[in-house]
Amino acid sequence: MPKSDLEEETLSETQHTGPVDLLIGIAGAVNAGELQQQVQQLQGYQGSHVVVAYPGASEVEAALPAESAFRLMPYSLPAADRSLLPWAIASTAQRTICAMAVEMGAKVCLSLHSDLATLDTRHLELFLQAIAEKGCDLVLPVYPSRKFEGLLNHSILAPLTRALYGQRVRFPLTPDFGCSAQMAARLSDSSPHHAAGDGALLWPSIQAALSNYQVCQLRLDIQHATQTEGLELSTILSSLVGSAFSEMETSAAYWQRIRASHPTATFGDMGQQWNDGEPVDTKPLIDSFLLGSRNLQEVWSLVLPPVTLLELKKMSRVDPASFRMPDEVWVRIVYDFALAYRLRTMNRGHLMGALAPLYLGWVASYAGEVAGLSPMGAEQRLEQLAKAYEENKPYLVSRWRWPDRFNP
Amino acid sequence: MWQQIEESLRDSMGRVFTKIATLLPGILAFVLVLLIFLVIAWLAAMLARMVLNAVKFDERTNAGSNTLTEWAPRQTPTILVTRIVFWSFVVIGVLVGVSTFEAASAESGISAYVFSYLPRVIGAVVLLFLGTVIGRFLSRSVLISAVNLNLQYARLLATGVRWLVFVLTAAMVLDHLAIGGEIVDLAFGILFGGIVLALALAVGLGSRDLVSRSLEKEANRPIEIPVEEKLHHF
Repeated sequence: MPKSDLEEETLSETQHTGPVDLLIGIAGAVNAGELQQQVQQLQGYQGSHVVVAYPGASEVEAALPAESAFRLMPYSLPAADRSLLPWAIASTAQRTICAMAVEMGAKVCLSLHSDLATLDTRHLELFLQAIAEKGCDLVLPVYPSRKFEGLLNHSILAPLTRALYGQRVRFPLTPDFGCSAQMAARLSDSSPHHAAGDGALLWPSIQAALSNYQVCQLRLDIQHATQTEGLELSTILSSLVGSAFSEMETSAAYWQRIRASHPTATFGDMGQQWNDGEPVDTKPLIDSFLLGSRNLQEVWSLVLPPVTLLELKKMSRVDPASFRMPDEVWVRIVYDFALAYRLRTMNRGHLMGALAPLYLGWVASYAGEVAGLSPMGAEQRLEQLAKAYEENKPYLVSRWRWPDRFNP
Repeated sequence: MWQQIEESLRDSMGRVFTKIATLLPGILAFVLVLLIFLVIAWLAAMLARMVLNAVKFDERTNAGSNTLTEWAPRQTPTILVTRIVFWSFVVIGVLVGVSTFEAASAESGISAYVFSYLPRVIGAVVLLFLGTVIGRFLSRSVLISAVNLNLQYARLLATGVRWLVFVLTAAMVLDHLAIGGEIVDLAFGILFGGIVLALALAVGLGSRDLVSRSLEKEANRPIEIPVEEKLHHF
């Protein structure tokens, strides 16, 4: 068994818990009083030996009744860089929670968002049913769809994961997930080349695919807010898309063998359909794309083949009202940037910065297309994009294997 | 009279041929040494490449996040190392060749002069390389950041930064080589000071109204009610 990365204090705490059926870990800073209240509301839950782990000091523990099946346990996170982005901190916490589950020998492990929206009896039972009764190793949530939310996930992360690893997962990078003991062991040991607290993201769905574990999805009727105010788009791209590209590098031998995707079993009721209100103004997005097109040609030409550059040139000349980025062009752009990331064609920060105007171009095109559609219609549009990712995968494989020879 | 001129020219020609004859063994020795070292350099570079490929040097160096390739991205680390090995041997060959030339041609003082100037040349080459790499890197950083900030004059800004670094590098290289003396310092001071002064005047005089209007607007701006962003990337 590999040596645990847990902090010494947390490690000694986990060794004194006794048998644990369920470990619920809160992956982020949480208000102690709020957590205590929320846990007390869970007392109706018919389970035994439940540990609720949260990052912080141990002042809450005494407040729970002695006969309670629940036990609150603080844990300490590895000293992380303060400049880390919210999801990087959450990933560090998720990895720690999985390591704790392994140390405790917990049968089921849940890692939940620190806003505690998922911490209620109904959601817990749904997660437990999926893992204990339906035999899922990893349960990922499906949040209610909104047309103009999670665009980075819909445009790159989810379809890329689907095309590469063959799993149709809606949210591959998620703040909530549940997993079995064996999946927790895999996740706690998933990034041996990363130092603890270095901000490397945890991709549970990719790890499950690599280990051939059963993945399920659970529809949750909740929305989490991620604080991205003040963060530049290129920083977000560097962190999220850069991490996805990094995973591509390490798992290249696996995903090159995958030919098609398969549906993922999804449980739970269809959530509420959110109304997205007025259509968004795409002009600033198109302007950003055009500015990039005017100034970043020399940078893009290092990454993109002439055919794509020509398509981009054509797009920059059309009327803003009919501005569209064809799926094939966008997918090939993402694949070419993934290849450039791997080959280090240029500094990776620069590379992700150069992707930002192209991404905004895609957002403008998508927003224009789905403006008059219902959320369901927008989902169908995204399904079409995901299929384009799969159809163009041979292009990626060819370029990945022969980057110099295959350059259309 | 004509005979004297002819005699004098013949004497001069004789001296020239004597000088060439004296230098020829030295030149031949220099060329021979240089050729030998070129062969050695080529063999050493090939050996270095084979060893580095065998130990998967590129993969190992690419495993870290801040590698040399981040700064000089078009070259793989193996190519960079093999080139350094090759050119090191060539430089050693030139130095040995100069010494041989001096020994074979009875021309004294050449190698002493070359050897004393060599550290300056090496320093200048390093400065030039670093200046070029940093200039290109900063220029691209500025260009991409400015585009992402929606600045219309992004390219102008990037070009300005690149040339500023190049001019600074050129001044440092010339200063290091002791070429131009005070003129380079003075010219650079005037150029750099001129740019700063021009910018100060542009803001102070040309854009005075614009600056005052923008400050006034900032001071009188009512408290804005934040508008909910409709697009969420993550």
